[in-house]
Amino acid sequence: MEFFTVKKDVQSDLKIVLDDMILTKDMPTTAGSKMLDGYMSLFDAQVITKLTEANYAICGKSAVGEFAFDLMGETNYKGALCADGKILNASAEIVSAGDATAAICLDANGSVRRAAAQYGLVSIKPTYGTVSRYGIVPVACSGDTVSVMAKSSDICTDVLSVIAGHDEKDGTSHSDELCAKLASGAEIQPVKKIALLKSMLAGANAEVCAKIEKAKNTLSENGIEVCEIDDSVICASRVAWNILMSAELCNNVSKYDGVKYGYRAQKFSNIDELYTNSRTEAFGELLKTAILFGSETLSTDNYMKVYDKALRMRRVIVEAFTEIFSRFDAVLMPACSSMSYPENIESTKAFEENTYTAPASITGLPAVVSGSVQLVGKAFSDRSLLAVAKILEKEGK
Amino acid sequence: MDRETLRKLEMLNQLSLTEEQKESVISFFEKRDSELEILNAIDTSNVERMVHVLPIMTVVREDEVIKTFSREDLQKDAPETDEGYWCVPRVVE
Repeated sequence: MEFFTVKKDVQSDLKIVLDDMILTKDMPTTAGSKMLDGYMSLFDAQVITKLTEANYAICGKSAVGEFAFDLMGETNYKGALCADGKILNASAEIVSAGDATAAICLDANGSVRRAAAQYGLVSIKPTYGTVSRYGIVPVACSGDTVSVMAKSSDICTDVLSVIAGHDEKDGTSHSDELCAKLASGAEIQPVKKIALLKSMLAGANAEVCAKIEKAKNTLSENGIEVCEIDDSVICASRVAWNILMSAELCNNVSKYDGVKYGYRAQKFSNIDELYTNSRTEAFGELLKTAILFGSETLSTDNYMKVYDKALRMRRVIVEAFTEIFSRFDAVLMPACSSMSYPENIESTKAFEENTYTAPASITGLPAVVSGSVQLVGKAFSDRSLLAVAKILEKEGK
Repeated sequence: MDRETLRKLEMLNQLSLTEEQKESVISFFEKRDSELEILNAIDTSNVERMVHVLPIMTVVREDEVIKTFSREDLQKDAPETDEGYWCVPRVVE
């Protein structure tokens, strides 16, 4: 198993590796799934167009878990990347090794943030709608966000300023006026007061709690006040996001049927068997579970009590954040429960581990990871968060 | 989650699980059901649904014919084609 597809002869100081959720014309895009093994896109994602126009060089594609739905890439159809009994993340390995200046990755279920935290890298999941999703394999459209991972907040800032911007090809893209807040940094509001979401520490191990404590001290030393708060509503984000994310995923992968493109089973005797055998053979266990779960939440019996409830919860969670942001500039919390995952971890652990990443996913709020901790901010406060990330980045590994 | 409901879900989603996978999915659903209590503890009866988190409006544009991809290009990734058509097993008995 290779970490990534390498493009040969790329001579540049500004190398970008794309994760395998991003469509590329000149390299296969598999989304980590046997369903798309060898798939060649007819067009490049909008982020590639923007990066190449700004003289960044695409140096290859990094492996992802099936539809970027898992913890860190362990459900890739070719097998998990592991070392010393721990799961590795391809993009983080490449960036850590210096083989790429930055990685552009899809944050669908928080895998990018977990990887950045465990590798001591910096990542930014921008405000939803500020980076075009055109040419990204869709997973959970209402939360899918193209993110940046690098060794420093300065690199993340530079890359983000290139990829942010309105795109008429993406129906959820904000106006250029709003996106400019990320590109120019003209309206950076200094972060003076941060809320530490104490209830989020309950499931985190001692090493993660120590990272939070260290970050808290560093922020205080730099004149940023950190106050502990509790909020049970934000902690409920995971349950609501699992419902919405699975329902959206179920719809998004329904098009993979072995007819127009993608994997087709060898054995079938009629059209139904072609569909069923192709999907059964190509999709992994976690994806099948998520599809069935998503489908059940959308069923007549459950739509109102499960899916509709989750949509209403999304508003409650957004309002909870709005209330917190009336008193604080950002929220501090872990990005994962531990600093590594064992290679034999249960595949559905991703549904639990997104306790830490679901709050920013379900609300579309920007989130940075730096010094192995996560900060969530107001919409369009990405540059302010990156300024805090710069203070924390030395605390990483 | 009973076996019959799971069978129906498998059929709707064109999936076929092994016995072991069925056990695993049933156990997953039982866990999810208990977690719904976390949401049910929060009253949302007077809360409106939120589909889009940020003020994003429906995009409307002129209905213009633009150049997209040729049939030949679109069939490059197809599992099976014949004279420009996608091939599937016979669907009419």
